[in-house]
Amino acid sequence: MNRPEFNHERPLIMHIDLNSCFATVEQQARPMLRGKPVGIANRRTDKTALVTASYEAKVMGVKVGMKVRDAKILCPELVVIESDPSKYRYVYHRLLDIMKEYSAHVTMKSIDEGVIDFHNTTAEIQGRDLVEIGYEIKQRLKDEIGVWMRCNIGIATNRFLAKQAAGLHKPDGLDIITPANIREVLETLKLTDLTGIAHRNEHRLNSVGIYTPLEFLDSDPVVLQRIVFKSVIGRWWHDRLRGWEVDDVETDVKRVGRQYVLESFSLTHDEVEKRLHHLCESVGSRMRSQNKSARGIYVYAKTRTRGYWHSSTLLQLPFSSDQTIYMLAHKLFDNAPDELKEIGIHCYELEPIEDQQISLFNDQIIQERQVTEAIDGINKKYGERTIHSADTLGTGIYVKQKIPFGSTRYL
Amino acid sequence: MNDETFLNEQVEVIAVFSNGHQPCRPLKFRRPNGREVEIQELGLRHPVNQGRKTVHMFDVTDGGADYRLEFDSERLTWHLTMEADHYE
Repeated sequence: MNRPEFNHERPLIMHIDLNSCFATVEQQARPMLRGKPVGIANRRTDKTALVTASYEAKVMGVKVGMKVRDAKILCPELVVIESDPSKYRYVYHRLLDIMKEYSAHVTMKSIDEGVIDFHNTTAEIQGRDLVEIGYEIKQRLKDEIGVWMRCNIGIATNRFLAKQAAGLHKPDGLDIITPANIREVLETLKLTDLTGIAHRNEHRLNSVGIYTPLEFLDSDPVVLQRIVFKSVIGRWWHDRLRGWEVDDVETDVKRVGRQYVLESFSLTHDEVEKRLHHLCESVGSRMRSQNKSARGIYVYAKTRTRGYWHSSTLLQLPFSSDQTIYMLAHKLFDNAPDELKEIGIHCYELEPIEDQQISLFNDQIIQERQVTEAIDGINKKYGERTIHSADTLGTGIYVKQKIPFGSTRYL
Repeated sequence: MNDETFLNEQVEVIAVFSNGHQPCRPLKFRRPNGREVEIQELGLRHPVNQGRKTVHMFDVTDGGADYRLEFDSERLTWHLTMEADHYE
């Protein structure tokens, strides 16, 4: 067996994860819920999927993504709460504030997890033991947000191993992975416990006789690169498992979208279109908040019979106004099937608004942009959806703004 | 079962403003029907921007039920907007 070349530098990457974040925050805010199985859903109906479950609910077999109805069969005493994004956003910002006090290099991976890179921080901070800092952050969460708050912390030489370490002792763990204990740690895990290895990658690894994380660690990088992953990704996995950093990359926003599970199956086509219009306004606002315009638009729908329909169009000129987004989406949606249960839209081929070329229709575009900017300004000052299309007057109670998973761009 | 009752009652509140992580702590409130509620714990306080106005949401408990109090920082008024109990 070849002795792998591990990264032996001091572990300076800390991953912090507020597991069961939304449920924990609700239990913090509402003390009567503490110790009880709690599920968070975007709407309190039997058909809605849970976005988070508390530890007490998870013990009873309740899983994220499960329908409320099914979760209640497993756990009849489950308390289902409607999600309250402003509360989670507040906790996110408090956590971020705490993390930033230790290093200028903080990256939030999603609303409930982030990474502190202690390279290039002050000598005073670097002089401290990171385990001690980890326990200090745990205590500060309790002091500054509330006594019920807890988090998992992992420390390692790279982001991947730090995240793995944070998952070792949920819900309130603090672990460190080094070359000295990596084999011991990997021995306790399955391939799919590794971040980035889901069933497809598991099958790829199995096909060359790799069935455990330890076998993965000991595998030949050439085999990983040429046979398993058929690209440089194989080499990255080889390095990642040895503590070398390969994941410190910023991903650019490639598309902006929203989807909505219809609140009723008996909506008319006209009513569904109003909800689509609402989604278009929401997507337009998000896109413009990132100073982006799009050239492509993609509309999809899922039917009650598990069918999937989609349609898209790509234009020569970029667009960003709600009016144009809806005009394009509406046109595509004309061909959508009946009996829908979910609709969605996203804009792609994004580019910065300033870089747009002046076209023959310059006046019209400038006018439209000025109107859009004025509306955005009013909505920013007086509250979301102070001005919106008359078409969506009655949709606000259904299509509420929810927390976008996996992205912290709009928090 | 989680019984949440959504309300919009203007309430009278005794609160302490001080230094520290929780600069404002409501201690007790009186509902329009005269019922007084002693707050045992402030669960979470978070601000919500309603346009340029900030409303502070206080999630509190008296040990028997959870309540949501909203403090309008522009009008300096308190409203009880939610009561949740009977979690069993």
